[in-house]
Amino acid sequence: MNALRAEGATLREALHAEWIKLRTVPSTRWLLLTLIALTAGASALATAVVKCPASCGEDTTKLSLTGILLGQAAVAVLAVLVMSGEYSNGMIRVTLTAVPRRATALAAKAIILTGVVLAAGAVSVLGSVLAGRYILPGNGFTKVNGALALSLGDGPTLRAAAGSVLYLALIGLFSLGLATALRDSGASIAVMLGLLYIVPLLTDLGTLDPRWERRLQQWGPMTAGLAIQATKNLKKLPIGPWPGLGVLAAWAAAALLAGGLLLRLRDA
Amino acid sequence: MSTGTITPYRSGQRPGRDDFPHLLRAEWTKFRTVRGWVIAMIAAAVLTALAVVALAGVSNGSQNAGADPAVAIGPGGEAVTDDFYFVRQSLDGNGSITARVASLDTELPTPGGGSPPHIAVPWAKAGIIIKAGSKPGSAYAAVMATPAHGVRMQYDYTHDLAGPPGTVSAASPRWLRLTRSGDTITGYDSADGRHWAEIGTASLAGLPPTVQAGLFVTSPPLLAPQNSVSCRGVACSAGTPGQSFAANSPLFSYATQATAAFDHASLRGERPGSAWRGGQIGFPTGIAFICTPSPGHFCPRTPAGGFTKSGGTFTVAGSGDIAPYVTHVDPLGTVLKGSLAGLLAVIALGALFITAEYRRGMIRTTFAASPRRGRVLAAKAIVIGLVTFAAGLAGAAVALPIAENKMHSGGWASSVYPVWSLTSSRGLQIVVGTAGLLAVTAILALSAGAVLRRSAGAIAAVVVLLIVPLILGVILPQGPADWLLRLTPAAAFGLQQGTPHYSQVTSVCQPINGCFPLAPWEGFAVLCLWGAAALGIAVFLLRRRDA
Repeated sequence: MNALRAEGATLREALHAEWIKLRTVPSTRWLLLTLIALTAGASALATAVVKCPASCGEDTTKLSLTGILLGQAAVAVLAVLVMSGEYSNGMIRVTLTAVPRRATALAAKAIILTGVVLAAGAVSVLGSVLAGRYILPGNGFTKVNGALALSLGDGPTLRAAAGSVLYLALIGLFSLGLATALRDSGASIAVMLGLLYIVPLLTDLGTLDPRWERRLQQWGPMTAGLAIQATKNLKKLPIGPWPGLGVLAAWAAAALLAGGLLLRLRDA
Repeated sequence: MSTGTITPYRSGQRPGRDDFPHLLRAEWTKFRTVRGWVIAMIAAAVLTALAVVALAGVSNGSQNAGADPAVAIGPGGEAVTDDFYFVRQSLDGNGSITARVASLDTELPTPGGGSPPHIAVPWAKAGIIIKAGSKPGSAYAAVMATPAHGVRMQYDYTHDLAGPPGTVSAASPRWLRLTRSGDTITGYDSADGRHWAEIGTASLAGLPPTVQAGLFVTSPPLLAPQNSVSCRGVACSAGTPGQSFAANSPLFSYATQATAAFDHASLRGERPGSAWRGGQIGFPTGIAFICTPSPGHFCPRTPAGGFTKSGGTFTVAGSGDIAPYVTHVDPLGTVLKGSLAGLLAVIALGALFITAEYRRGMIRTTFAASPRRGRVLAAKAIVIGLVTFAAGLAGAAVALPIAENKMHSGGWASSVYPVWSLTSSRGLQIVVGTAGLLAVTAILALSAGAVLRRSAGAIAAVVVLLIVPLILGVILPQGPADWLLRLTPAAAFGLQQGTPHYSQVTSVCQPINGCFPLAPWEGFAVLCLWGAAALGIAVFLLRRRDA
C-alpha cells in the first residue's frame, strides 16, 4: 500500500519531475541547438572578419566570444518557456498540485534550468574558443604581431570563457524570475530582451552625459555582465569582470525573489 | 399518409459574409476588445515618447562641436567649414573670372618640414571662386578641380554639382570660368579654353555689388584611425575607410595640404588699379599634424597656406575645406533610440496578435469563419500595421519637439545639430519614418508569430534580427558591419539619423556616428522586403499546415 505523504513532494522529486518536463518538450532541444549554433556560429563569423594588420589591438578573447550576444536570446526564450509555458497551457496547476510548496517548485525549475544551460553553454563557449583558436592565426593574429593563440590555459581567457558560461546561466535565472513574475511569455521575453539589448545601444556615442553613460554601463545587465569577457585594458572598463557578473547576479536574484514572492501570493 | 415533404431547417438569419472589409472589421474588433492589447499599444506610444524625452534629458552637449572655433555660420544658418587660401581681387558688379588649373598635388605636411610626402586627398579643391566677402561663412559660388571627383561646381556650402570627371595634370589641364550676372553665377569648364560647357548656375540671394573673386586652394584633413597612415619613400597612404579598421577605433585627424598651379588667370569687370593679393580665410593657422577630435578638444586644421607668382603662373598652397560642417556624433539619432522601448512592445503585440489565437484555439474559429487563410493574415497585417503606425506617429510627433527643445537647452548648438521642425523634410522623415519602422516591424512580428506559432520564439527572433545588428555594427570591422546593416532589417534605423551627411565631405560613415551605409528610405525598403518575405512564408505555411 502506498503511503501518501501529506507534506507533498520533496525537492528531489520535484527536480525529477522538472527534468522530465524539460526533457520531453520538443522546443527544449531546438532552443539548446539554437543556442549552440548561434553562439559558436556568430563567434566564428566575428573572428573570421577581423584582420590583424588593421585591428591587432583587438581583445581576441572577447572577440571570439561575440556569439554570446545572440545565444543569450535562446537562453532567455528557454527560461521564459520553463515558467510561462506552464501558465499558457494550464500545466502550472498540475505542477503546484504535485509540489504545493511554491518555493520548492521554483527552486526545482531554477536548478534544472541552470544545469541544462550550463551544459549547453559550455559546449557553445568551447566551440567559440576553438573557432577563435583556429581562425585567428590565419587572419594575422600571430606571435609575430604580438597575439598568442587562444588557450584555456591562459588565466584571463579561462576566466572569460568560464564567466561566459556563468553569464548564460545567470541570464537564464533572470529570465525565469521575470517570467514567474509576469507569467505571460510574450511580455516576459520582450521586457527581458529590452533590458539586455537597449543599454549597449545608448552608450559610447558621445551623446549622453558621461556620468549617466557610466551608470548605464555599470547597471545594465548585459553591459555589466559581459565585462567578464574582457582580457585587455581592464582598468578602463566601467566595471570590473567579476563585479560586473555580480551585477547580473543581483538582477537575477532580484527577479527570482520578486517572482518567488508573487508566486506565493497569487493564485495560479 | 402524409403528402407533405419535410422542409430542411433554415435559419432566418442571413448568412454571414467573409468579404475583405468584413474580415478587416472582424480583426479590428478582435484587437479592440482585448483590453491588454489596447493598453499595450497605448503604452508603446507613451514609452516611445517618454524614453526619447528622458534620453534627451540626460544628453550632454556642453562640450560638443558647437564650441569648435573652426565652425562658421553659413548663409542658411547652418554650421560650415570655410578655411582656404584665397588669391583675390575685388569685382564690381557683373563680370567674370577665368583660370586654368595646370596641376594639383596633395601632401601630408610633416613636423620635420622639408619636402612633404604625397597622400591622396579625394576632396582637395583647387579652382576659382566668387564670394560675398572675406568673412568665413559668407555666400559663394565656385568651380574647382578635385583629385578624385572631377570638376565640380559648388555653392553656399551644401550644394554640389558634378562637372566632367578626370584628374588635372600637365597633359590635361582644366579651364574654369565663373560669370556673375546680378545674383546669378554660372559655372563653366573647358578642356582647351575655347569650347566652354556650362556646369550649372547658382542663385545667391542678396549678393553685394562688390564681391571677392579669385583663385583658391584647400584640402580637408584626412580622418583615419591611429597608426593607419603609413609612408613609404615620398608617398603615404591612409587605411581605406570601409575596408579594414575596426568600426569603433578612434579616428585621428591628419592635416593635409594641397598645392595647385594656375595660369591664364583673368578677371573681367575688376575694380580699376587693383592687384592680386593672397590671404588665409577662416580658422587661424596653426599646424597640427595628428590630432584626435574628442569632446572639448578640437583639431586646428589649417597649416599655413601661401602663394607665389612667376610670370603668368600662380602656385597656391592651401588647407582646410569649404563645405558643410559635419560632426562625428549624432545626438538626435542616439536619443531617438528611446523608441526601441516602444518597438519591443510593438514586436510583442504583433506576435501575440496571432499566437494568442493559437494558444486559445481561436484560430480554428477564425479559419472556420473565413477559410481563405491568406486573406485572414492580410487582414491581420493591415489592422496591426495601421494601429501601430498611428501609435508610432503620435509617440514620435510628441517626442521630437520636446526632445529637441531639451537638447537645445542642454548645450547642443542648433547650427551644428539642427532642430528639425515637424514640417521640415527631415522632421517628417524622422516622425513618419519611426511610425513606419514600428508598423512594418509589427507585421514582421505577426508573420514570425504565424510561422513559429509561439510568442516567445517569434518575439526573440524578431528582436535578434532587428536590434542585435545595431550592436554588432559597432563591434565588427567596418566592412562586415556595413554589410550587416545593409542586409538585415536594422537598415531601417537609418531613418532616425538626426545629423545630415554630405557626399562631398570626407567623413567616415560609421554606425557609431549615426551614419548608415544605405540612404534612409532605402534602408526602410530593406525592412519592407523582410516584412513581405516573412508574410509570404507565413501565408504559405498557414495554407499547408493544419490550424
